[in-house]
This record gives sequence, structure tokens and C-alpha cells, in this order.
Amino acid sequence: MSTVATAQPKLWAGGKSPFNVEYGKVMMWYFLMSDTFTFAAFLIAYGTVRFSANSWPDPNEVFNTFPFAPEGVHTPLVFVSIMTFILIVSSVTMVLAVQAGHHNDKKAVVKNLILTIIGGALFLGCQAWEWTHLYHEGAWWGKNPFLNADGTAPTVNFTNFFFTITGFHGFHVFTGVIINIIMLIMTLNNTFEKRGHYLMIEKAGLYWHFVDLVWVFVFTCFYLI
Amino acid sequence: MEYSTNSHGDYSAIKKEIWKVTLILSLLTIIELVFGFWIYAQPTMGEGLKWTLKGLIIILMLSKAFYIVAYFMHLKHELRTFIMTIILPLISFVWIIFAFLYDGNSFKDLRNGFDRHHKAQSKVKAVKPAATHNNTKKQEHGH
Amino acid sequence: MSNAAVLHSNIGTMHDDHSAHHEHHHQETFINKYVFSQDHKMIAKQFLITGMVWALIGGFLSVLFRMQLGFPEESFPWLEDLLGKWWAAGGRITAQGYYALVTTHGTVLVFFVLTAGLSGTFANFLIPLQIGARDMASPFMNMLSYWFFFAAGVIMLASIFVQTGPFSGGWTAYPPLSALGDASPGSKTGMDMWIISMALFVVSSLLGGLNYIATILNMRTKGMSMTRMPLTIWALLFTAILGVLSFPVLLSGFILLIFDRNFGTSFYLSDIFLASTNTALPNEGGSAILFQHLFWFLGHPEVYIIMLPAMGMVSEIISINSRKPIFGYLAMVGSLFAIATLAFLVWAHHMFVTGLNPFLGSIFALLTLLIALPSSIKVFNWLTTLWRGNIRLTPGMLFAIGFVSMFISGGLTGIWVGNATLDIHLHDTYFVIAHFHLVMGVASMFGMFAGVYHWFPKMYGRHMNNTLAYIHFWITLIGAYLIFWPMHYQGLAGMPRRYYDYSIWESFKQFSELNRFISIVVFITFIAQLLFLINFFYSIWKGRKATNLNPYGANTLEWTTPINPGHGNWPGEIPEVHRWAYDYGKDGKDFITQTTPVGEEESTEHH
Repeated sequence: MSTVATAQPKLWAGGKSPFNVEYGKVMMWYFLMSDTFTFAAFLIAYGTVRFSANSWPDPNEVFNTFPFAPEGVHTPLVFVSIMTFILIVSSVTMVLAVQAGHHNDKKAVVKNLILTIIGGALFLGCQAWEWTHLYHEGAWWGKNPFLNADGTAPTVNFTNFFFTITGFHGFHVFTGVIINIIMLIMTLNNTFEKRGHYLMIEKAGLYWHFVDLVWVFVFTCFYLI
Repeated sequence: MEYSTNSHGDYSAIKKEIWKVTLILSLLTIIELVFGFWIYAQPTMGEGLKWTLKGLIIILMLSKAFYIVAYFMHLKHELRTFIMTIILPLISFVWIIFAFLYDGNSFKDLRNGFDRHHKAQSKVKAVKPAATHNNTKKQEHGH
Repeated sequence: MSNAAVLHSNIGTMHDDHSAHHEHHHQETFINKYVFSQDHKMIAKQFLITGMVWALIGGFLSVLFRMQLGFPEESFPWLEDLLGKWWAAGGRITAQGYYALVTTHGTVLVFFVLTAGLSGTFANFLIPLQIGARDMASPFMNMLSYWFFFAAGVIMLASIFVQTGPFSGGWTAYPPLSALGDASPGSKTGMDMWIISMALFVVSSLLGGLNYIATILNMRTKGMSMTRMPLTIWALLFTAILGVLSFPVLLSGFILLIFDRNFGTSFYLSDIFLASTNTALPNEGGSAILFQHLFWFLGHPEVYIIMLPAMGMVSEIISINSRKPIFGYLAMVGSLFAIATLAFLVWAHHMFVTGLNPFLGSIFALLTLLIALPSSIKVFNWLTTLWRGNIRLTPGMLFAIGFVSMFISGGLTGIWVGNATLDIHLHDTYFVIAHFHLVMGVASMFGMFAGVYHWFPKMYGRHMNNTLAYIHFWITLIGAYLIFWPMHYQGLAGMPRRYYDYSIWESFKQFSELNRFISIVVFITFIAQLLFLINFFYSIWKGRKATNLNPYGANTLEWTTPINPGHGNWPGEIPEVHRWAYDYGKDGKDFITQTTPVGEEESTEHH
């Protein structure tokens, strides 16, 4: 901030970016704004349907297992907490990769990108396990075996929204992993080295953090409240 | 290279900041989880306490979002005008969320008021179906 | 590294080429000049001509259903020859055909003509030229934006020809008609294609919108501060913001709809007994009103996405042709901002009679009526700009004034339908049809005509024929009023929209003569549009050649480019801007272009 403060009075006069931000980053930010509205629409729709239902399943009863956990052991929230931490940590490695890029430290960029990709893949793996598990319990789009919290017949929109929204988020994670792999290949090919800057990784990073951000909301809306 | 905006502070200071934010995010998540467990472990909890906890969880969620956007996505270090172009549209969510949820709730009340069968049905206790494999017993669910 | 090189890291080299030796650098093949072009001017023309094709199709559909409404008892055997049995068995438009026609007419006109055709054309054409940029921020994304739109169009067109017909549940696609394949013939394949087409359209508008915003913010030439931008650019900026923030909500709504259609969910479905298959559906717990909320969250900003570009162009054209500065420039910008903000907050005024909570309804009515303020600020500013102006009635100017007229006529009835209580009577009647056709349909169409007539010399380096244009204008203006004015009375009398045949209703029989009259005017007005098409295409090749760089004596930057600008727009340096765009009749000078430096003794009322 301090470095650009001197240029501020003329920022809006044309001939340069008023935000001191290159156009690609402006576009990425506004794309993420747009995507925010997509996810918000999903989550608000979920809220609306939940508010219009007389009863709703208790997420702690639904999401209460763990891979390889013995039958009958209830561990609500544990598995999803692990998923959340995986995503947060992968976000940290991503931001480290971006910072390394700013200092043209190719080695650190490669290391942190690989870690981020592994984090993303782990998250997707966890999600795949959770979906499979729920599927075997009898849950799917249009099917809900989990009784409502007050013991009445299950509200099917619980699973409908769960699979749709986590699926859409998972799709974003998947896209993010693909983007990060492309970034990794480009870094290894010295594309950014030749270009003289790693700004593209910064944009990929924005996308990745956004995916993490969305999970913060999905996690809270589906698992906690 | 005017557009590499991150020339504030040196490399190690930035790394320090990143780890600090990571710690904060983890702490906030743990507090969220504690509240979540609390609600789960005490099914007899009064409505007032339950909604307070849920409200706190939402506040924690928003503060996590703040840390991710401000530090990881680096928005805090952008120019104020740019921050405003991001923040201002989000304010509309206050009205959007209120209107959607309020109308959802109103739909529930209308339906309970005008459709007595629906109201009666939604009070009938159901038997929990035994844990089944999805592909074998799909007919039993949802009725 | 210089700013510009980082700014346009991927197109920087191309631009340098331009400024160095403009005439003969990249080999322009037919494919990369006319088809997969990345030149914003060519993409604009692609949007325009595709939009015109769609306008022709959409208009023709309205001619067909007006035949049914005007002449419900007669049969036209040639119709069956032309359209086949599905649409017109025995020479009479069938009921399913009628609903398919009104649905496709609405979808095509709202999205393909007035969104892509209008803002796609003029955002692409005017933004780089008027802010002084060589091209869009990302020409490649810009090209993709057009081709996604084209693909959306192809799929929509194909849906007209599938066996079960195109979607026929209204352009708003409310479930359950849109969610259940068994609900109507058009809800089967036709709806699948409709929804795919619309999803592609959302992608197209997103790619375009992000590009417009980034370009306007980042790529203004030196001296082009935000408050020196022509109002067209302000309007296009707000249009793009509206699109970027509201289309994704529609996409979410559509995704949920796709799940309801294909994967057994019940987001929008509950308690349904389907007469066509005689079955009760198991779906439970959904809310059809949820879709309406999601749809209108786009649907309402959408009408401003349609309106704002027209408003911007009209401001520009009226100022130029009145030889006066625009009245209240900052008020114009402020009212655009206010309209864009309110656009996000008022969506549920389309849903007053859905059982919307009355408390919410009252807030929505209040917010809706607030829109009257910025709208009337704009109208008064246009009128005061015209006031005592040295008015030149070019075809563009006529259509711009026509826009203001339509906007007033249609806007006033908006105050009626914006009231939650009045809307109980007026909802879904011909009153609403008249209201929104005048205020956003015809008005924006007029804005589009104004833009095409006005900027044609810049687009093709030739002039359109003025005589044909005048005939076109007067028939269209009178026709539009004769078509939509009587509909107010029909609506007040309670005549509902979307009915197939009013002659079988005792209460609406009295309108059969009026319906016939409206239909005849529709035919005449539609034929008059062919004058425009003939004029347009004839003039591209045979029109009077433009010899004057600045035929209107306008201030803005696009008139400083060569008559036929190449890719990159300015052969040399991009000119620097020293003043706002509206110095007309200042200090005794007819006009002072934006590139003229401010003189020593110049009066300083404006920048």
C-alpha cells in the first residue's frame, strides 16, 4: 500500500489501472464475485427450503462415521474436520507458492504447488469416500434414509442439496487441482521464468483460496448448523 | 514491474504472517467444532442457547472468511477502491438472504395453515429404516 | 518493464505491431478476419448481425401468434404447408404451437436480441473506441463470448425443429411445466435444449461482461478519467456489472432445475398430480416459488441489462444532435448507479401474487417505486438536453427521441404494476404485456436502431439511406403505439396474457375487433422492419461512402480513428484526452473534441 500511495492522485486519470492491478487479476476477482453469487444462490436456496420445511435431519446423526471405524462408533464432525484442515493447509501451501513466485523462487514454487495439488487430491479423495459411504447408507439424489431430528419421515431435500452443493464445490476443487497441475507444468517448463513474472500463479492462487472460502461456508451450513 | 503488488515487507515477514493466519484459522475452526459438539452432545439444550451457539458459529464463519480473503487472497493489501468494488456488492446479500429466508418461512406457515393434511403428516413419527445398501432396497425410502 | 507490456502481456506485441506499421502486418485470412476474429469491431458486427437474424426470427414468431389472436376463426392453409401439422394443423396455429411461439418469442427477444444483440454489439464496438484502447482486455475471451452465444443460438434454433417442439412453458420457465417432461410436449427435448442453450448463453455473457469491466477500468487512455467517459461507457459498465452478478444466480436456478428434471430431486416440486399420465408424483418438500425467486433475481436485473445500453447511447446521440452538452452529466451517472443498485433489490415484485409474504411485498413495492426517481431524473435530463437545442433530426436522433417517448409511456405504467395491491388486478394481464413491451422491448429496440443508424458510418465506412430510415422510423413509432396502447385497456378489463383463443370467452369477445386491428398493425410494422434490413445490408456494400472523419461533429474518440479503422483502431499513438465528451456549443465553438487541450482563456464550467 505504502509503495503506491504516492501515485494515488492520478490513478483514475486513465492510461493505467486505477487499482494498480493487471487486468487478468481484475477479471479473476470479478469472476470470483460472480461465482460467489452462484454458490450464494445455492446456499440461500438451501436455507429457503430448510426454512419452509417443518423438520430437518440432524447433520450430526448423518455425518458420524470415519473410514475404517468399527460399526457403531459414532464420531460426528471428526471426518469433516479433517477435510476442512486439509483444505486450509492446502490453501497455506498455495499462498506460499504465490509468495515464492513473487520472489522468483522457482524451487519453492514447485514444492508448494505439489503440496497444494496433493492437498486438493486428498480432499477430493475424502469427499469420494464420504459420498460412497452415504450412498451405501441409502442416500442419493432423491433418496434420504436419515430421519428428521424430531423423528418424522426424512426430508428428501436434505440429501438433494447436500449432494448438489458439495458436488458443485467438489467440481470447483477438481478444476482447481487441474489448474494447479497446469501451473506446475508451466513452472517446470520455465514459462514464467521466461516471462519474468509469476503473476499467473497468483490468479490460480486466488481461485484456489476461493474454493477454500466456499468450503468454509458449505462446512458451516451443512455440518454445523 | 509495477504490478507485482506484494513488495511490502520482506519474504520471511510475509511467511510469518501466513503462519499466523493459519493458526488463527485453525483456532476459529476448533471453536466452531466445539460449539458443534456442544449442540450435538446436549439434545435437550434450550432453543435460546442453541440459536445463540448457531449465531456464534456464523460469526466465526464470517471471521474465517475475512482472514482467508484479507490475507490469503491478499485483498487487504490492495487499494481501498478495489476493496470497495468487492465489498459493496456483497452488502446486497443482507437483503437477499433476509428476503429469501423470510419468504421460505412464510411459505411454511402458509402451508401449515391452509394444508392441514400436510401439517398432520409432518408430525407423524417414522421408523428409521435399517442401514441398507442403496442398490438393494431403494423402494423403502422416502415414504 | 513498462506498464502497457504487463497490462497486455498477451496482446502487447500485436499492438506494438499496429502502431509501428499498421498496413501490412499479419496475414488476414478470411477465417481470422471474418469468422474467428479477435478484433472487437468485427466481433461487434458478428453480434449485431446474429442479433438481427434472431430479431427477424423472433419477430416472425410474433406475427404467427398474432395471426391466431387476430383471426382465431379463420384458417390459412399455407400455414400448414409452411410449418407442418405440429404447428398449424388445418392452417390454424395449434394450441401447442401457440405456446411454443410465445415462449420462443420471449426467450429470443429478451436474451438473444436485446441482451446479446444490443449490449454485445455496442459494448464490443464502443468500449475500446470511446475509451481509447486498441482492443478489449482479452480479445480471445471476447471471441469466445461470441461463439458461446452462437452455440446457444444454434441449440435454441434446433429446438424449434425437434419432434415434440420447443419449450412452451413461457420464457420464465417456471416449474413444474419446465421440470416435468410429462407436463407438456414442449417440456421434453425442447426444454432440455432450451436449458442447455441458456446455460451457454450465461457463459457467453459472463465472458463478455468480465471483459467489458476490466477493459473500462484498466485500459482507458491517458486523461480519460472516469468522469470524462461518455455516458455510453458508464451505461455499458453498469450493464456488465449487472450481468456478471445476476446471471450466475440464474445458472444456479437452472442447475437445480436440471436435477429436478433428470435426477429425481424435488427442489421445486411438491404435491403434484399429473393429469397427462394420471399419476401422483412422489416429489415432496420443494417449492416452485424458490425457482421464481432465483429466476427473477436475474430476471429483474435483466431488464436493466437491456435498458441501460440503450439509455447510454440515447444520451450520447441526443447530446450530439442537440449540439448541447448533456444536461446533468453526474446526475446521469448517479441515476445509472441507482438503477443498477435497485435492480438487485426488487426482484420479487414479479411475484406479488405467488403468495409472497405481504410484509416482504410492501418492502419490494417500496423499493420498486424508488426506481421512479432515477428514471425520471434521466427523462428530465434528456428533455432538458433537447430544450432549446439546435436539433438535427438524423435517423439516429429520431430513434433516440422515440426511445425517450417509449420509455415515458411504458415507465409510467410501471408505477401502477409496481404496487403490490394494484398488481393483484393487473398481474398476468395484457396491461403487463403493454407495460414491459413499451418500456424495455420497443424502447430498447429503438435504442438499438438509434445506435445502428448513428454508428453505421463508423462500422462500415458508409452511410445508410436516410429516406428509408425516416419511413422505417415513422411506421415503427406509430405501429408500436398502435399495437401496445390498446393492450392497456384490454388488460384493465382483465384480459389475461398467454391465452390461446379469447373468442370463446364471453368477457373478452368484445375485444375481437381490437385484437384483429392489433394483429394487422403487427404485420405492417413487421414488414417495415424489412426496410431496415434492406437498408442495412444494401448500405454495407452500396451505401454512400463516408468521406468525413467526423460526420456528426462529435467529440468522442471513435471519430478520431480512420474511416475504416484496422485492428488496433489508431494507426499511430492512441490520442490523449483533455476534457469530457460534451463540450458542444462552448465559448462560441460548435464542438470541441476530447483530444483538444484546454485553452488558456477557456471558461471552466466543465472539465
